[in-house]
Amino acid sequence: MLKADNVVSYGQYIFAGIFAWFIIVILIVRYFQIQVINNDSYSRKANSNRIRKITQTAPRGLILDRNGQILVDNYPTYVLTAIPWELSDKEEKFTIISDVIGLNKENVEENYKKYYRGRFNQVRIAKDLNFNQISRLEENKIDLQGIYYEYYPERYFPSIIRGSHIFGNVKEVDREIRNSLKNKENYELGDMIGWSGIEKKYENFLKGDRGIYFYEVDALGREVGHFNDLEPQDPIPGENIITTLNLEIQDKIEKIIKDRKGVLLVSESYSGEILAAVSSPDYDPELFTGLILNKTWSEIVNNPDKPLLNRYLQGLYPPGSIVKMITQAALMEVVDFDPNTTYNCDGSYQFGDRLFGCWWHEGHGKINMSGAMLNSCDVYFYKAIQLLELDQLASVFREFGFGQPTGIDIPGEAKGIVPDKAYMNKKHGRYNWSKGALLNICIGQGEILSTPMQVLNFTNLVATRGQALRPHFVMKENQNENFRPNISIRTWDQIIMDMALVITDENGTGKNAALNIPGISVFGKTGTAENNHGDSHAWFIGWVQNGEEKYSVVVLMENAGSGGKVAAPIAKEIFYALVTKKNKIVKN
Amino acid sequence: MFRINSEVFGEIPRHFIWAVAFLNILGLVALKSIAQHHTGLILQNPFTKQLVFLCPAILICILITITPRYLIHKYAYPFYAFGIGLVLLPFLGDSHSGTYRWLDFGLPVSIQPSEFAKVFTILALARYLSDHNLKMRNIRVIFVPILLVILPTVIILKQPDLGTSVIIIAPLLPMLYWSGANPFHLFLLLAPIFSMATAFHSVAFTVWAIVLSIVIVLSRPNRFISLIIFFGNIFLGLLSPALWNSFFTQYQRNRILTLFNPEKDPLGAAYQIIQSKTAIGSGGMFGKGWGEGTQTQLKFLPVQESDFILSVIGEELGFITIAFTLLVFGYFCSQIIKSSFLSKDRFSSLALIGFATVFLSHVFVNTAMTVGLIPVKGLPFPFVSAGGSFLVACYIMLGLVMKLSVNYAD
Repeated sequence: MLKADNVVSYGQYIFAGIFAWFIIVILIVRYFQIQVINNDSYSRKANSNRIRKITQTAPRGLILDRNGQILVDNYPTYVLTAIPWELSDKEEKFTIISDVIGLNKENVEENYKKYYRGRFNQVRIAKDLNFNQISRLEENKIDLQGIYYEYYPERYFPSIIRGSHIFGNVKEVDREIRNSLKNKENYELGDMIGWSGIEKKYENFLKGDRGIYFYEVDALGREVGHFNDLEPQDPIPGENIITTLNLEIQDKIEKIIKDRKGVLLVSESYSGEILAAVSSPDYDPELFTGLILNKTWSEIVNNPDKPLLNRYLQGLYPPGSIVKMITQAALMEVVDFDPNTTYNCDGSYQFGDRLFGCWWHEGHGKINMSGAMLNSCDVYFYKAIQLLELDQLASVFREFGFGQPTGIDIPGEAKGIVPDKAYMNKKHGRYNWSKGALLNICIGQGEILSTPMQVLNFTNLVATRGQALRPHFVMKENQNENFRPNISIRTWDQIIMDMALVITDENGTGKNAALNIPGISVFGKTGTAENNHGDSHAWFIGWVQNGEEKYSVVVLMENAGSGGKVAAPIAKEIFYALVTKKNKIVKN
Repeated sequence: MFRINSEVFGEIPRHFIWAVAFLNILGLVALKSIAQHHTGLILQNPFTKQLVFLCPAILICILITITPRYLIHKYAYPFYAFGIGLVLLPFLGDSHSGTYRWLDFGLPVSIQPSEFAKVFTILALARYLSDHNLKMRNIRVIFVPILLVILPTVIILKQPDLGTSVIIIAPLLPMLYWSGANPFHLFLLLAPIFSMATAFHSVAFTVWAIVLSIVIVLSRPNRFISLIIFFGNIFLGLLSPALWNSFFTQYQRNRILTLFNPEKDPLGAAYQIIQSKTAIGSGGMFGKGWGEGTQTQLKFLPVQESDFILSVIGEELGFITIAFTLLVFGYFCSQIIKSSFLSKDRFSSLALIGFATVFLSHVFVNTAMTVGLIPVKGLPFPFVSAGGSFLVACYIMLGLVMKLSVNYAD
């Protein structure tokens, strides 16, 4: 069978042999190049390949009320993450997940898209999972390759109050946020950072230091053990923050303002400690802790009443008659105005070619300054203010803190407007405005705009005859020096007497705020600020004095009508709550 | 006829056995290192699985060495038909994640028929070429061997298994060369491949066109054929970008493209090359020590028990071991080539050069792949890599090599 002879020549044999050895030598040379010549660089690469630094989020500090009650807490949750390239059948796995832990599958898919940061990065697909849900996932682990979970301390709000604008929210640090940070080395993607309110202002206290652990991992990112050559570090929780808030009062004012639009502010008058603050409508603080559905989010963002807007810091309102005390002070201090001077009020006043009306169209008749205050007569001040220049009035407004930030310890404060000559020239042109502007501003209308927080500080200053500290939300030892209006005792006496009359006089516009409790006195001023957005804003500012205790209250009800009819009764409720509350306000 | 005596074994060339024993033991050492913390069943642990498969492999090898040579020659074609049937079988069953590479008999292990097809293809090729020696200078006779090779290649490409189909086609040229084919004809066989490969680069394509014309001028065929050859190749080259897109899948294109630019996608298609090079490069001259390779032990290295076993050896046992292994393999292959040259009959000579080519192609493709010289092809290293069908196929080839190397008349 095998008769055919071999015909291979010696030349062919040598050629084949050389060819074979040539291949072998090429391979050996290539290995030599990589293993011996480039050994150093590959060794470095190999070392960085296998050690993974895992960080663990530190729980943020707690936020407490002044009596130590916990307002903002952490609770342990788990977040579910997926590593895209390890997910073989995404659909199937998401279905299992949503079945097992009772989550909406769409939610999971939406998160997957939203948090996707590349094939090899963990994508957060669900948050707020509890231990039970994790246990159930663990039972199905075999079907869930590429799905991981980790412990995660989550903000939650155990108290009865909302306080959403005060506490603010935390936000997950993404690439964009991280790049905008000054201390970006302290944050990793996925960390939480205070994004508004106290959470933002006191970020450095609340944050804490994350724990760092070193693991040896395999190429799939699976941990195969601790790496002991580097010292691990346990997370250090953030510091707790004691606020000036009083849980009881905060709860009270939140209930009062529910379903209405406006602002309520309560503070201790001397120390400026804010006992309660609410901007309504607000939002559920839990909104930001869970994963927000796009739908819910757009509902809130597109709400015409702007629940996300912090009205007492960012809302700019015409103050109306509540600033007449400043006009009073300006008159008495700058031109030594005699408060017994009487003017006649016919219900309106012709100035140049313009008719300035009094809110009481029938006219208040012949009244002095106190009468003008308690009736909140406008014509009296139209007439008196002509003794002053615009800049003189504006500087007294500024002495009480208007037109400047109050320095409140929540970020995002607006500074308002106190129009002076320079401002009016710039805005309208030098010859396009007249002294008529002064008539508007002296009754808190026209160009002047203020935040309710400025009004609170102003109220505190009046209540304490200029001695109040700046308003603040967090207990701190050294408060910055507050504005110090340069007002004589005579003027203070006049202002405070008139504010008592506003409440006590039978014609007083603020009589609805009267408590009528022996030994407890109430001072106040109403305001009904006309504006371009509908009905007038109803204002009431004032304070209640109970022995040593003195508490200021600011009420602003947006587009609600008359200050005396709408705001004053609300103030009364708050005054009542303040004098009957259980917890004594601790004095610093 | 089936007399088993010491004489039969006495004539077996021992150097093959020593070389294979070394390679096999080295493979087991590496597999033991990978599997040392393995807790799975015997067949899930690459080390014990390799040991289990070694038994039938060695048994078949021994059986082949006592099989009379004329039977091998006589049944070369039926074996070939059997092999073709074997690679077609998986298409009748269900696919394994879109591929038809595996035959599942309900046993705990699956069989990869393409591994055996390459053995039978070489035998059929050797049979044909040894029967038709006198006409070898005629180009028309080359077409039957080409068909013999193309048939299994196309089937295996469809499975799809690019690596194995390359291995099937590899022995064709050396075997044609061995049987005395005109080197110019062989060049013409290769020419279309070069035309297509260089077409993606204008300078390379120009250089290739010049080389092509020089070779044609030097070989002096008649003018008409010269023109057909030249323009046929140029035309093919111009067509190849379109073929590239339609012929290869995205997956195959990616694999080829990342070879040229591995840093472009460090965690994607080039991931395996980078991890392999890191493992090998960090091993250094003497390695990190058995079981101490961090890239291996921490599973950074992909498919380490089969395709990338050389990277494991490179990392843990160093360049010294790699170089020695490659030298042993060079020795093994050159001994087969030597046997082939010394062989008295043409069938044995051709089969031996065929097996030498298969072994060498495997080593080249696998080793070059681990160090990023060629695209990741998924081919194991003979006798070292884990793999049931492949190990058995290697031992079948070893048995045939030993059998055909012995020169005595039967």
